[in-house]
Amino acid sequence: MPKILLVEDNEMNRDMLSRRLARKGYEVAIAIDGREGVEKARDGAYDLVLMDMSLPEIDGWEATRQLRAAPETSALPIIALTAHAMSGDRERALEAGCNDYDTKPIELDRLLAKIQALLPGVA
Amino acid sequence: MTRTQHTAERLIPGRGSLARRQAALLRLSTGIAAAHDETAVYRSVVTGLHDEALGYNFLGVFLLDEEDGDRVLQASVGWPGVPDAWRVPHGRGVSERAIEDGKLHYTPDVTRDAEYLPSLNSGSEVDVPLQVDGRTIGVLVVESSEPNAFGEDDFEILTAAAHQAGIAVGRARLLEAERRRADEHKALLDTMQDLVGELQLSRVLHAVLERAVSLLGVTGGEVAIFDEERQELVVVASEHIGKDSTGTRIRLGEGAMGAVAQTLEPLIIPSYHEWLGQSAQYADVMVHSVMAAPLTIGRRLVGAIATVHADPQRVFGREDLRLLNSFTPQAAIAIENARLFTAERQRAEEQKALLDTMRDLAGELELSRVLQAVLERAVTLLGVTGGEVAIFDEERKALAVVASANIGKDSTGTRIALGEGAMGAVAQSLEPLIIPSYHEWLGQSAQYADVMVHSVMAAPLMIGRRLVGAIATVHSDPARVFGPEDLRLLNLFAPQAAIAIENARLYAAAQQQREYFETLVSNNPVAIVTLDHDHNIVSCNPAFERLFGYGRPEAVGRQLDSLITTEATRTEAVAYTREALDHPVHGIGRRRRKDGTPVDVEVLGVPVIVDGQRVGLMGLYHDITELLAARRDAEAANSAKSQFLASMSHELRTPLNAIIGYSEMVQEEVEEMGEPALAADLQKIHTAGRHLLSLINNILDLSKIEAGKMDLFVERFDVGEMLEQVTTTARPLVDRNANALVIARDGELGVMWSDLTKLRQMLLNLLSNACKFTERGTITLRAERARTNGGDGREMMVFAVSDTGIGMTPEQMDRLFEAFSQADASTTSKYGGTGLGLAITKQFCHMMGGEVQVESAQGRGSTFTVRLPARLDQPAADAPGTD
Repeated sequence: MPKILLVEDNEMNRDMLSRRLARKGYEVAIAIDGREGVEKARDGAYDLVLMDMSLPEIDGWEATRQLRAAPETSALPIIALTAHAMSGDRERALEAGCNDYDTKPIELDRLLAKIQALLPGVA
Repeated sequence: MTRTQHTAERLIPGRGSLARRQAALLRLSTGIAAAHDETAVYRSVVTGLHDEALGYNFLGVFLLDEEDGDRVLQASVGWPGVPDAWRVPHGRGVSERAIEDGKLHYTPDVTRDAEYLPSLNSGSEVDVPLQVDGRTIGVLVVESSEPNAFGEDDFEILTAAAHQAGIAVGRARLLEAERRRADEHKALLDTMQDLVGELQLSRVLHAVLERAVSLLGVTGGEVAIFDEERQELVVVASEHIGKDSTGTRIRLGEGAMGAVAQTLEPLIIPSYHEWLGQSAQYADVMVHSVMAAPLTIGRRLVGAIATVHADPQRVFGREDLRLLNSFTPQAAIAIENARLFTAERQRAEEQKALLDTMRDLAGELELSRVLQAVLERAVTLLGVTGGEVAIFDEERKALAVVASANIGKDSTGTRIALGEGAMGAVAQSLEPLIIPSYHEWLGQSAQYADVMVHSVMAAPLMIGRRLVGAIATVHSDPARVFGPEDLRLLNLFAPQAAIAIENARLYAAAQQQREYFETLVSNNPVAIVTLDHDHNIVSCNPAFERLFGYGRPEAVGRQLDSLITTEATRTEAVAYTREALDHPVHGIGRRRRKDGTPVDVEVLGVPVIVDGQRVGLMGLYHDITELLAARRDAEAANSAKSQFLASMSHELRTPLNAIIGYSEMVQEEVEEMGEPALAADLQKIHTAGRHLLSLINNILDLSKIEAGKMDLFVERFDVGEMLEQVTTTARPLVDRNANALVIARDGELGVMWSDLTKLRQMLLNLLSNACKFTERGTITLRAERARTNGGDGREMMVFAVSDTGIGMTPEQMDRLFEAFSQADASTTSKYGGTGLGLAITKQFCHMMGGEVQVESAQGRGSTFTVRLPARLDQPAADAPGTD
């Protein structure tokens, strides 16, 4: 069962997305800010991180850079989630080291396709 | 007169043989033919006849003095004791008969003739007339001591001899006349040469007098010139009259010269000191006879000449008078020439003075004054009544009179067309013109119909071949005419006047330009200051005074930088100033007003270069205090707006995301639980949420575009893949109204360098619209590379979205790309949408260096065509958000 770390500060988004992913068969762990996200990603063995970009403590960009910088997480697939497909967000996400990105509100099928693409053994 | 012509009845005794006679006659003929002059002819006649073989012993030739009718002996043989030039008075002697009727007369016995003047040989006499060209000039007289000594043979011989002599005399006289004429001519030429060589009047007249004295063979003489002003003669040359009379003034009627000056007729005074008209001033001179003549040009007296014989033996005759008469006109002309020369030199001096004046005038440079002066000079110099000067207005191709003097009206300001009147004529032909009678001239101008002008002389004023004006001078006196000399003088003037006009014109243009720039500077809202090399203020404008608070008097002469800088900015300001002496500098800084308050300025410093020489620099200060404040305000407002937009985007969308996400999630759960009715409601909540979100997103996009915060991200992508993604995304929209979607790919699409996200958004917008307004129709998305259609040769990509929907009217199309305007307000309720999609599409297109166009007909569908550069190297220059 693929293990996904969802880093999201908004409680409703967290709840909604984690439940929907769980129903699709993923094991979902939660982090509520960038720092916690980085810590959890280092500790546990996750297959993929869904990273909200506007986070308290350290934001998604910075958290991604830290994960990429650490050897144990440098290859961890990360999908950035941004509030709106603002021009530049996508580029910034990829530049920071994200593997892909998606916009909120989440269209579950689209997101699932991106997750599937990044999980080992599937791509 | 009736005289009997006698015929000889017998031969003269002692006459030789026929052969000897014939030889003698041949000698006679040869002798006559060989004679060089008149006297030699007469001598050869008498000596030739006085031959043994012919037997004529007493012979004489007399010439008729036409004045008194006397016969004057020229040559004789056998009359000893008879004086040279013996005169036989008119009315006496038999030989006069031959002169009177031109025929041979024979007097067989002179003693029986009452008119015979007794001589040595009182016998018989033959008188043969001497004729030249049919006119009797004298008589050949042959006498014998015997009566009845001559016969027919003698008459034949003597007639032949007289005939020969007549021919010889005629020839000799012609020769003599020629020689005399040649002498006179030479004398005249000598005189003229003197005139040419030395034109000083007194020397000329001395030369004239010397020639006259030598030509006439007189003792001496005088020449006087006529002083018209004082109506007196003044002696200017005097030769051998016993005193130097030079400088003597002689009244009209006084003495010989005074007399001829009054009568204008020549005069011979045989004995001056017995003459009643003699002048007291000449009582002491050694003069016997006097011949005087007036010197005139036409009927105008210019002087008088007198020649004198001191020798009482010498008298003046007709021949002398003839000679003098042939001489006097030339002397008069010499005087006149000398006079003209003097006048000419005077005129030349005047001209020089004039030219000097003109040179001064050139410094004057005020056009109307210059031309008035030029005109007045011309009028004075030419001695005309008046005149005009006009300048040529190149723009209107017409002359404008700017100076006018004495032509009967003030014509200043009159405009004259090319070809009109005298000045118009010369301005057109570019040649000077003399009009002898203006009011009879066909070319006269109606504008000058009323002026008091008789003759006109006009000339164009030119600089090189360029017309700058015209000058005209006029005589109102019909007696005055213009001649070549006047034309010459006017031609002397014209270039000077032209240069004066040109100078004045250039000066006026320069002045105008200077005034223009002065006005520009003094009214300029920008503070302007000029500095010399040492950074001292040379001038400053009112805006400078206002900006820095220094009045012009207190600013001029002071160092600019010490005046308007603070300690803090001094170094920077001085550096600017130094740099600006070399090249323009531009910057922003803070300066200090007189009252100490700071002022933010934009500074522009430029070197001032005049004729290639750097003379200083000019500083321009633009007060940007307000500008800076305004910019700060604007930046603050903009930042507030951005902040608002960012927070709105976040704050609005967070709850929206929850609504959309939960409704979607619950819908899935409800469907799984088998509650389709609830699922439909949840779908409605979800759709409404999506709509609200897209509205917010569009508003946000437009705001960002307008705020210039929308950035382009150019990347390389495959056009075909992009189209597939777009098609996939649009599929649900297409299906909703049961439309068919056709993708038409014309040719190889290849890759594009552009903003992929925005292109996708645009195409989705267009497809979404097409789907919205079309039911059960066909939506076509066409894509192709248009290789030649870029305005600057760039390769373009064309995407066209066509539908078979409701279409639009032209009016609807007009407002199509404006924000918040669907074609019709009613469509919003029916078809939904925000009305922002096309506005955003248009803006994106613009940003990406392309354009969007629409074609539509109501009820027949629409086609939206997007054209974009296939390779967008950098954001389009005029796109918002590029700074």
